[in-house]
Amino acid sequence: MTSLPLPRTDRAWTGVMAVVLAVAPLFVLESTTYLRLYNQFLIFALLAIGLNIAFGHTDQLFLFMGALAGGAAYVMAVLAQDVLGITPWLLIPVGMAASGALGALVSWVSAKRRLGVILISILTLNLQLALTEAYVGLRGITGGSTGYSFVGLGLDSIGSILGINRFAVLSYLLIVLVVLAQLVYVRLIGGKYGLAFEAIREDDLAAASIGIDVVRYKTVAGFLAAAIIGLGGIMMAEFQGTVLPGDYGFAAVDVMVLIMLIIGGIRTTFGPVVGAAVVFTIEEFLSPVGQWETAVFGALLIVLFLYFRQGLMPVLSDGVDRLRDRTASSSGATDGRS
Amino acid sequence: MVATSTLIAVGIDGIAYGMFLALLGVGITLVFGLGEVLNLAIGMFAIFGTLMAHYLSTAVGLGSVPAFLLGIVVVGILGVTVDRTLLSLVYRSDGEERILLGIFVTLGLSILLEGILTNFFPSRYSLSLGLPRINVIDITIPGSSILVIAVSAVVLASLFAFLRGTFLGKAARTVFQDEVGALLIGVDPRRIRAIVFVLAAIVAGIAGIVYGTTATLGVTDGFQFTIFALIVSIVGGIRSIEGTAVAGILLGIVATYANFFIGAYLASIILFMTAVIILLVRPVVEE
Repeated sequence: MTSLPLPRTDRAWTGVMAVVLAVAPLFVLESTTYLRLYNQFLIFALLAIGLNIAFGHTDQLFLFMGALAGGAAYVMAVLAQDVLGITPWLLIPVGMAASGALGALVSWVSAKRRLGVILISILTLNLQLALTEAYVGLRGITGGSTGYSFVGLGLDSIGSILGINRFAVLSYLLIVLVVLAQLVYVRLIGGKYGLAFEAIREDDLAAASIGIDVVRYKTVAGFLAAAIIGLGGIMMAEFQGTVLPGDYGFAAVDVMVLIMLIIGGIRTTFGPVVGAAVVFTIEEFLSPVGQWETAVFGALLIVLFLYFRQGLMPVLSDGVDRLRDRTASSSGATDGRS
Repeated sequence: MVATSTLIAVGIDGIAYGMFLALLGVGITLVFGLGEVLNLAIGMFAIFGTLMAHYLSTAVGLGSVPAFLLGIVVVGILGVTVDRTLLSLVYRSDGEERILLGIFVTLGLSILLEGILTNFFPSRYSLSLGLPRINVIDITIPGSSILVIAVSAVVLASLFAFLRGTFLGKAARTVFQDEVGALLIGVDPRRIRAIVFVLAAIVAGIAGIVYGTTATLGVTDGFQFTIFALIVSIVGGIRSIEGTAVAGILLGIVATYANFFIGAYLASIILFMTAVIILLVRPVVEE
């Protein structure tokens, strides 16, 4: 009976994830199709990490992820190209701050008004629809439904120096961003914020009575989640080479990200990334029956919520624990990782 | 200047649209009040009704009236099936978990129906009955708008009569107010929920079919109808049936006038933002 020397901490596992993510594209460097798929997977992983913070840890079901992502992309691209005329790199933080501020505002108002999860979801759904209409309607600024052309971050010139595809460069940029977001998440949830979130989720009145500022913690969670989602939106614009309202719709973004988070495992560290990978794999297998894809995802949403609300991660981490601690007694082998 | 007669004609279109939304909104309100399930598939039920009636009257070749009636029956069967299968599973959980489960399962159902129906009904359809336009003084009113208003009014009135007058309706209102109390006097909440859910589905089916006689509808409209019905239901007070009906008619009129005067984009933005503001300023009653 040997036990495998597997890592125990989330930070170490994030390192493992980084290596896996970095090695995977090496096999498909020649295939633009797979690189594009890989890019999309990483972008959605970012979005799902954001939703995990808002919905998973603070019960704020953000159904305006598409609008947040699109808003950040428009702010970044329009400011860079039409207003300031400077490199878009400098405006990535500005775009993230814009979507973060909107997320924080919604969280702050909802927490002040003590809105439950259902009202937040409907509130944000209305915002999503209003904002996507605005993106299409403000033709003078956003270019309307045909999209706003974005010259990009100059990844193709980096690619031509290194002799690789533009999408390969974007893959590695995205891997860095996903790993960074993951580290922020691990730090956030492992620290006092994680404890406060847990207390608020259990009972916000009791949490408030022991001095936890519920409104502040929810606002911080809303800001961080929305900023990460905004980053995902900016990367989507870089990926597409244009900011297209259709890429930021409710069905295209919110429904998919929600499915990914649930498949992977809500409130788990690696659930968002695993979920995104699984959904894109399923999508790839479904592509021969493309016209049935919507139906399959609808059915998937129903079945997942009825029978599989825990997601994959609890199953996977149980397996990992068993492999590692095969010699230890079966009880007491938990390391606090859920 | 817009002629007064045009204003009145647009207003009547608005009332027709509003009555349609009121029927859907009341369906959401009733089901949520009874079982805390927010039916996000209601708009798709309505479109399903439209499409079934269209299929039965064109491809199968039934006359308009039998096709419409059969279409309503088919929506009712879908309602029973959903209630027996999906909702039975949802009702097994409680409290906030049930609300969330209800949202996701009905959202999934809506996407599933949309995904299936798009494959069979890829275009936009109308159930035109060829009703003549009616001229009153200077005002030209499409006969189909009058039909929508008349049928919706009858359906809403019978719904209220059902809830006020019949034993079943009274039992439903009892569950609305106090589930434990209802259990104590021998009302089975699950049975009432099933009946009311199917009733709401049938009402949605009627709404979709009747509205289809005046508008051209496609599968993608379903989700938008759900959203509007949701807004109507929440603006009217998610537990008040009368409030929902009034809110539906008002919203229909406002939306139609806004569309007419300031264009579709701005009108929808105003509509959604109004819903946001109402959500935020109204007193929080249900949590």
